[in-house]
Parts: sequence; structure tokens; C-alpha cells
Amino acid sequence: MLTAKTRNYTGTSQTIPIERGLMYSSGTDDTQNYRDGQTKKPSPDRSLMPPCQAACPLHMDIREYVDLTAQGRIMEALQVIRNGNPFPSICAYVCTHPCEDACRRSQVDKPIAIRALKRFAVEFGGDRMVQAEAETTHGEKVAIVGSGPAGLACAYYLRKLGYPVTVFEAHSELGGMLRVGIPQYRLPREVLDTEVQRLAQMGVEIRRNTRVVSLDLLFDMGYKAIFVTIGAHQGLRMEIEGEESPGVIDGATFLREVNLGLKPSLGEKVAVVGGGNVAVDAARTALRLGIPNVEILYRRSRAEMPASDTEVEQALEEGIDVRFLVVPTRIKRKNGRLSVTCVRMELGEPDARGRRQPVPLEGSEFEKEFDTLIVAIGQAPQTPGGFGIRMGRGSTIQADPITLTTNRAGVFAGGDAVSGPATVVEALAAGRLASSRIDDYLQRRYPLADREMKERLSGDLLPDTIEMIRKVSRLELPTLSPEARTKDFKSVELGYSWEAAISEARRCLRCGMGAEILFQDKCATCLTCLKVCPYHVPYLDASGTIQIPADQCQACGVCVASCPAKAIVLRKPYDRRHITEELDHALKSAAQSNSKPFIIGFCCQYGLFGTGALAGLWRGAKASIWIVPVLCTAKVEADHMLRAFEMGAEGVFIAGCGEQCARENTDFWVRQRVAKARKTLAQIGLEPERLQTFVSTTTNGGDPAEELDRFAERIGNLYLASIIMQEVRS
Amino acid sequence: MIVAEQKSLEEIRRMIAPYGRVLILGCGTCVTVCDAGGEREVSFLHNALRAAQARSGNGTQTFFEYTLKRQCDAEFLDMLTGRVEDVDAILSLGCGIGVQAIAERFPYLPVLPGVNTSFMGMTNEWGIWDERCAACGDCRLSETAGICPITRCTKGILNGPCAGTKNGKCEANKDMDCAWVLIYKRLEGLQQLENMRRYYPPRNFRAIPRPKRIVSKATIDVGGENE
Amino acid sequence: MSDSLFEEKLGSDKFLVTTEIGPPKGTDTSEMLHHIDLLKDKVDAINVTDGQSSVMRFASLGGCLLVKEAGGEPILQVTCRDRNRLAIQADLLMAYSRGITNVLCLTGDSIDVGDHKEAKPVFDLDSVQLLRMIRTMESGTDMGGNELKGAPKFCIGASVHPEADFIEPQLLKFDKKVAAGAQFFQTQGIFDLGSLRRFMQYASQFDVKILAGIIVLASARMARYMNDNVPGIIVSQPVIDELAGVEKGKGLQKGIEIAARLIRSIREEKLCHGVHIMAVGNEGVVPDILEAAEVVDVHV
Repeated sequence: MLTAKTRNYTGTSQTIPIERGLMYSSGTDDTQNYRDGQTKKPSPDRSLMPPCQAACPLHMDIREYVDLTAQGRIMEALQVIRNGNPFPSICAYVCTHPCEDACRRSQVDKPIAIRALKRFAVEFGGDRMVQAEAETTHGEKVAIVGSGPAGLACAYYLRKLGYPVTVFEAHSELGGMLRVGIPQYRLPREVLDTEVQRLAQMGVEIRRNTRVVSLDLLFDMGYKAIFVTIGAHQGLRMEIEGEESPGVIDGATFLREVNLGLKPSLGEKVAVVGGGNVAVDAARTALRLGIPNVEILYRRSRAEMPASDTEVEQALEEGIDVRFLVVPTRIKRKNGRLSVTCVRMELGEPDARGRRQPVPLEGSEFEKEFDTLIVAIGQAPQTPGGFGIRMGRGSTIQADPITLTTNRAGVFAGGDAVSGPATVVEALAAGRLASSRIDDYLQRRYPLADREMKERLSGDLLPDTIEMIRKVSRLELPTLSPEARTKDFKSVELGYSWEAAISEARRCLRCGMGAEILFQDKCATCLTCLKVCPYHVPYLDASGTIQIPADQCQACGVCVASCPAKAIVLRKPYDRRHITEELDHALKSAAQSNSKPFIIGFCCQYGLFGTGALAGLWRGAKASIWIVPVLCTAKVEADHMLRAFEMGAEGVFIAGCGEQCARENTDFWVRQRVAKARKTLAQIGLEPERLQTFVSTTTNGGDPAEELDRFAERIGNLYLASIIMQEVRS
Repeated sequence: MIVAEQKSLEEIRRMIAPYGRVLILGCGTCVTVCDAGGEREVSFLHNALRAAQARSGNGTQTFFEYTLKRQCDAEFLDMLTGRVEDVDAILSLGCGIGVQAIAERFPYLPVLPGVNTSFMGMTNEWGIWDERCAACGDCRLSETAGICPITRCTKGILNGPCAGTKNGKCEANKDMDCAWVLIYKRLEGLQQLENMRRYYPPRNFRAIPRPKRIVSKATIDVGGENE
Repeated sequence: MSDSLFEEKLGSDKFLVTTEIGPPKGTDTSEMLHHIDLLKDKVDAINVTDGQSSVMRFASLGGCLLVKEAGGEPILQVTCRDRNRLAIQADLLMAYSRGITNVLCLTGDSIDVGDHKEAKPVFDLDSVQLLRMIRTMESGTDMGGNELKGAPKFCIGASVHPEADFIEPQLLKFDKKVAAGAQFFQTQGIFDLGSLRRFMQYASQFDVKILAGIIVLASARMARYMNDNVPGIIVSQPVIDELAGVEKGKGLQKGIEIAARLIRSIREEKLCHGVHIMAVGNEGVVPDILEAAEVVDVHV
């Protein structure tokens, strides 16, 4: 019995029995299928999950929406975003972007500005692509206690699943920390309101100003399941002498008051104790209330500060002093002001979690005077005793990390109330998970539906690969100047322009969807892929087999089109349709329109819409032009060019990005294939000039649209000449 | 490995002209490596033939595509059974060996060569292949520092160089190195110049006379004594 | 020793002069006969070339017969390009029987530079093997080891390339040719006496006679053409410039002047044992060159 070795995408090699006659056949190539009018099955997605997606608590398909943005298909990008995140605008402003921290582009230069791209997409799309439809298909009511991001997400998904949902919120406004914790200059109110209103549109019942004190009551009211997500709003105390003095206020409370419209009087000189986002938010809020002198006292050094780098940077720019390695030990009221005794710290041994513990320096006490001291050293949940659920460390609610269940049947918990203060996106993820767990529970589904996860891409870029990748600076989001922004609570960050968004999106390395040798039996080890790869990725392993490591491949497609045995495919053929299918579509349209002569143009999607230079392509000229959009002209094969001529095109052009292509050397390969096709054209009796390449950018001074016009004219002339010749002959 | 070059489209079209249904048969070994007759080239040729037919306005040929792992072993050819019933000719893109093997297997089907099998050689860089071995049957590479004067010297002489070498290049083709200059330099590096000072008698041009065959199998007399 | 007159002269101290005639591409031998007549008494021997530059011409063996009939001393040029060992041995047996006893053994130019580019290049032998083969025949056996019914005796020579840009392999081959029995050498075209001098410093240790090849150029364009297309010829830049400097129509005159100058210097400085004049289509001017070089009296 014949056998063959194959590799599945998890990288293990297995021997599978093969029947004679099937071992090595062409026709597994879809182009053959399409031509024979057979299946139009989509190519399977064998891509690996990129680090950005793996790091995101929501596992958003970041690679996909960044790529769509790079192609200028912003609405489709927005669609992908909304598929994964019901409240993307919120994340667009305040997400801590673990995706960017995991982004492998940072191994080359700087990570992709994913959050900024998301913001561009949501602002561009506005209200479109919102799927706010929901109908009730179940009878079981679900109560959600708390309307922070976890609660909002859970409400959204449960409503989509068809459950009647009620959200109980103790405050007058929805949003939890989003409303009362995060200042407006970081998350504008309108954005939050728009997102929240959607829930009402979907038919979620919202009960404001309703503090839930007993879960039994909710069950009595007929709710079959409850999601407790009350957040962590209770400020922790420093436990030092004089903490109750007037003038010492809790940070989270302070923010809540300001966010609800109050303007507490703080005096002239304010200090904030703490190093997290709440502390920095409080300091920057105080500044915006007109306090001239604001400083932060933090007990560790800059490196250990939990607040996000951007926040700290912006705070420093705005003129806030941060005193590191300082801790207040005693507070006294003196002459209507606070006299705070502080001690300097030094970093000692690391604790169990690896953080170096601050240790007071003997004899380093000093006194400072402030009008107000804001304490923001952490928050904890405030769970009413009447809930009857078990508590864990730091007053958090104990819940199973997989099922989110508590010790009470039908009661689930998630968000800050369980984890302690965490990030918005983690809360969203918890809310989403809760919705599916509650659904499982109510439908008596057990064991729990397993979440199929794709294999993750692991591994860093090798220096050889990095060397070949063109370095392109990251485009930071423009911000208001520090002077301008401290005047009020207007949003600090401004959005991207179209060009900026597309340029930034093109920096993506497309981790995990590169080439793989799908048909190992066809591989003749000719080493073509090794020789042509601009990034030197394929290599020969110890057994003399070619390996294309997924963690190095930049998914340019050059080896795929060059492999003489057609054994290589892209793990995710991320074209919406094959080039062959797109071409046939264009050819059909051309045939139907019956206008002759016609020209087929393979145009790079990135260059065509991305840079916009060839956007004015559809001109009358002397021929009609049909565009076949391709994702990088490196994928256009000589076969495609010939097919266009076969089906009646009088001229064919390929418009790529030339030197601007995000991948190296692609222009060279396009020209090689054009040369090959031209040789054949000459032998068929067609002038080789009927096949041209253009570059769709204007960096070298030429106007590609003009060149194209000239090409169209030339084709028109050739066509007329051939018509005349035919008539002469007959 | 065997290096071949696809015949011109013109020549191929002339060859297949009399046949209505043609199977374009590729080979997955040598001709794949040298980009002459693998699956990709089969597909490209197919496209070219269809385009030529479309442009010429007439012509009713039908083409089929298939690629075997190798054409030069009977077991691989087994896979063709069932695929040749409805064809009038096979256009093989395999080397001359493959073409003949298929012709032997299907004596009643015209088998046409789509490539010119050119030499045994190696890849210089992508897209460039150089001859290295002439299969002379009497290898003396030990004496010429591993550089074959028969393939790399245009005259194939053994007491080289001739007077035509200029700038280290051959008189016949200025892009090719003079083999004997290469041999001299390499022997010098290996301190084996004595090899080149020796007289080389004329070659045995019939080391293995044509038609050539090598037999490694022993003749065993079953039931008899061992030799 | 063979019966060759030329070999006798080789044994003397006289300044040797040979020249070459290219046979016609066709059956019309009138011009060749005219040149043979013109030159037979002015030089010590006349080479008849064998398909020079791989251009098909009237056979050199036939040309040598015509030289012999006219009373001149022929040198048969044999290349290995067109004939295998059987054919060459056969030709040599016949040549000897007709009194042609001088042979210049050459490998031959490659087919690519000639006018029958699809012909099969034979190269069954190379020049060194050819020299040895002749000595073998002289000993009474052919290359197959078979006894000859009547053995020939030849005076054999070969070519050498003193102006090669990479001289070491050429010297190595020169050694092999001497070891194989070559008695005289006619060099490739000399334009730079310095390289000839250097070569002679090496070659004078051997008991062989060296005749410097002198090419008669007719124009700068011809010089450049030969540089690019004719194997073994490297015309130096000063010579090209000199040719370029004359007015139209005076090129050949200049060529004669240059040739004569070279010959005179070689003779006066006793750089080597003689010269071999290659007129390349202008055989008619050889006497003028000899006169200009003042070598009209040094032959019998």
C-alpha cells in the first residue's frame, strides 16, 4: 500500500495511507477546479492565531481588520471589529491594548497602533454595521447587577441569544467605571452614551437608580439567573494616622463626583497618592479643574508604576510632578492645611510575585504641605452581605474562572468584582463568557460547550528575517498640546487621517497566515522557495526536507506563485476570492458589456484604494478597463495574464505599489512573470507591449493615471489595426 | 539532475496540431526543479495553448492536465490507466527518458516531447542552470580538481587550455569561464599542479558503447554451484 | 630527421621566415596558386591553414599538394576539430607519401566562431595528443597499436600564445608540447615585444625554434574585430591607435609598416628564431613587408 507523509498545520508529521491513483494528482489546485466548473469551495483557513489575537481577552480578529484597513475597506474592518466586540468605541479610546504589547512588529521597530486603527474604523463607520436587532426566543429572564463593561457585554450577548434581560444600576447613569471612573478627556461622554443606548434599542430593560441588596429578591421576581458584576469602587485606605482628616479624599470617589458633574474645591496644592490609572486620572482631573499645583506620590519607581505608559507620559507633559519612592506616614491638620509626613523608600528584595518591595530609608522623613490629599492606592468591591455569596481575597467575590459560577446556584459573577481592578477589555471578555455560561446553564447544557481555539503562533522573528523587513516608523495618534488640553475635559487624542490609518495598517507583518507546504509529496525539494524568498525564511532541515517556519514567514506570496510543483499555499488565502475567480468575474462582466476593446487590469488593493493614486482609473479612454483587485501583485501569476488574453482582453496591465509595497522584492517577481508571459504572447502572435506593469504611486514623479491613459490608447490603436488587417485578409 | 527547456510554443503547436484531445503530462522530479515541466509549467502551457487557440479564432482542441511524480518508472505510469482512454496524444513535459517510457507503455498512442532535454547539471542561481556532467563513463575528476573539462571546456580537451582563452573566459562564449583556467587555479590552490603537467592520453570515447546499459544484477544459476 | 627542407633550416642559425595561405572557399584555386607562386621563393616555408576560425575551406592537405607541385615548401596545418584519430592518421599517411613532411599540430578553433555553427565538433584529440600520435606513427604503429606497413617521418610543430593574459597555464602546455616532440613553434600574433622577450626567457631553455607570429592589419576596425572575435588574438591599444591615426585608404600601408617594424626589431635584437607572417587575406603584400623589414636576402 502506498503511503505518503503529510504535515498538518500543527506541525506534526503523519503517515497516511493513500490509494493508488490519488497519490500525486494535479487538480487539487483550485484553478483546475474552477476551470472545469467544479466546486467553488472556499480554501480552508489553516492560519495560526497571531499573538495580538491571543493576547486580547476578547480574541478579536485583529489581523483581519488591520489588513482590511490597509486595503481601504474600512466598513468591512468595522464589521469584523463589531463581530468581536459589542462596544468597540469604548476600547478604541481606553483599551490598554495587550495586543500592541504582544505585537511582533515591535521586534522590528514599533508595534502596530492597533487601538488607533480601531478608533479610526469606529469613527469612520459611525452608526453603520451596528447589529442592534434582537428578538426574544427564550422565556428565562436574566438579571444583571451592575452596568459596567462586564454587565453591558453580558446584557448584549444574552439579548442576542434571545433572553429577556434586565440591567440593574445603582447610579443614575450606566457604565460603571466607564462612567464614574474614567475621565471625560479619555472617554468622551457621547461615545459612551451612544454605545449604551444601543442596549435599550435591543430591548434590554434598564433600571437606573436601583441598588440591589438581595439576590433572593431577584429570584423571587422571577429571574432564573443572575450575573453579579458590581465592580470595585471602594477605595482602599492607607491605614495611617490622620487619614480621616478633612481634606483627605478617596480617589475613586473624587472621580465619580467630578464625572457626575460636581466640582469639589481642592485648594491650590494637591497631592495624589498611588501609581495606578485611577491615581493618574485623579491628578490630571485635578489639573483640569484649575488646580495649579498637582503632584503624585508613588511608593515604587517609574518602572513599577501600574498606570499605562501613555497616561504617565501625558501627565508629565501636562506639568504634573511625580515623586517616586515616596510614602506618606502621617497626616496632621495645620493652619487649615494638611501637613503630610513622608518617608523616602528604596527598592528591596522582590516579593513572591517578583515585584521589588519598597523599604523605608532610615531617617529620610520630610514634611510637605497640601490643601488636599487624594488617596488612590487601589479599589475593592463592596458586596452587600445580603447577597449571600462567598468572598475571596481583598473583598472580591469568589467565582470559578471557567464557569464563572459562585457558591449559589444560578448566580454568576465577573469583572472587577471578581478580579479586583482590571482592564475594560478583560471585563468585556468576562461579560461575554458569562453570557455563554448562563446560556449553557439555562439550557441545561452539560458538559460545557468546548471553545475550539486555533493553534497559536509562537516564536520570535530571527535577526535574518528582521534585517530584510523595511523599517517604517509608527504613526502615533496626534494629541492636543499639553497647554491646550489642560484647559478642559476635551478628548486628548485626535484621530488618524485616512492616509495615516492606511499607512499604519500596512506595517502589519500578517503573523500566522504565511506559506506552508501543503502537498509535501509534490515537493521536489528544488529549493526554489528558499532561493526566491526575500526574507530567507524557508530552510532545509536535518532530514533534507524544506521547512517554512510559520513564525518567520511574512506572507508575501512570492514562493506560492514560484513553486514549480504548486505545493505551497498560504495558510489563509486571505483574498476574498481567488484571483482566478475575481478574474473570471471581471471577464464575464466585460463579455456582458460587449464593449471592445477591453483591458484587464490586475490592481493591488492596497495601492488602489490605500494610497488612492489610481482611484481615478475608470476613465473612458479608448478602451474599457476592468479591474481585478488583488491583494498584492506578487500573487498574480503568468497563467492569470494569459487567461485574460485567452478570454478576449486586448491589453492587460498590472498595477502594483512598486517600491512602496509593504513586502520586499515583489516588483522584481511581477516583472519576471510579465517577461515570461510576454515571450509566450509573442509566440501567439500578440504584441508583447499589450502586457504592461505600472506603479500606482506618484513618488517618482510620474503620473500613473496618465501612463494608463497612454496604454489604453495604444491598445485601442492595436485593436483597430488588427480589425483592419482582418478585413483586408477576408 | 537532468535539465531541460520547454520547446517553443510554435513548435509544440505544430506537433500537436493533428490531435483533437491532448493530455499535457508533467513530471514532478527533474523538470520540476528546472522549471520546464512541473505542475506549474503544465498549467502555464495549458493556458498558453488555450490562449493561442482563442486568438487564432479556429482550432477545436481540448487539453487535459496531469502530473506524475516521475515518468521513468513503470509503477508511476500505472497512474495513467484510465486517464488516457479519451485522449488522442500525450504531450509529455518529462525528459526524453519519460517520453520514451510512456511511448513504450502506450504503443498505440502518439507521445510527443514538450521539452528539449539538454544536459545534466545544477542550479547556479534561481533561473540559471549549468551543465556539469556529460556521462562520459570514465570519470577523471580526481585529476582536474573536481572540474570537468569535458562539459566545461567547449572543446572538451584534456591537455588544456587552448589559446582562445581571454580574461579567463572561453573563446566560444564570453560569459563562460575557461575550464582550464579554473582547473589551473584550483590545482594551484590544492598544490596539485603536477596533475596538469602530466600528459593526458586521448579519451576512450566508447567507455560504454551506445546503446548503453549498466547491469549490477548478478546472474544466478538456481540450483547450481555459487561462483 | 625527416627529409624536410624546413627541418634542415630549423637546424641552422638562419633567421626563419614562414607565412601562411588560406585556401579558397570553393573550387577556384587561382588566387591561391598566384600567392603560392609569389611567395614560394621568398620564405622558408608556407603554411596552408586548416579551416581557420572554423570557416569551411578547401582542405589544407590539398593546398599543401599545390604548394609542393609549385616547388614550395609546405607546412600542413592539422586541427583536431573536424577529424577523429582514424581520419587524421589516414591523412598523414597520405601526406607523407606525397612529400609533405612538415606538420603544425593544432587543437582547432571552436565551432561557435565559424560559419557552420550546427556542425558536430570532433576534438577526438587535442594538440598535445596529436604531437604524440605522430611520434607514435613514426615508431611504426598506429594509435590502435597496430603495425604500420611503412612508417612516416615528420617535422612537427605547434603553436604557443606568449601574449596570453594569464600566461602560466600556457607555459605549462608549452612544456607538454615540447615533451611531446614539437620541434618548432609558431606563436599567436605578437604586438608587444615585451611579452615576447619574457616568453623567450622561459622558452630558450628548450631546444626548439620559436617563430614570432606577425599579423598584418589593414585598419583599426579590423584590429578591433579581431580582438573581439578571433581566438588567440590580442591587439594592443597602441597599435590600434596607430592604425586609427591614418587617413582612409592608408590603413594597409600602416599595417605593413607596423609588421615590418616588428620583424626588424625581432631580427636585430635576435629575440627569437624567426617570424611567421599571417597576412589574413592580404597575402599579396608579404613581399612588401619582407622588403620593408629587410629580410629579402636571408633565405635560399
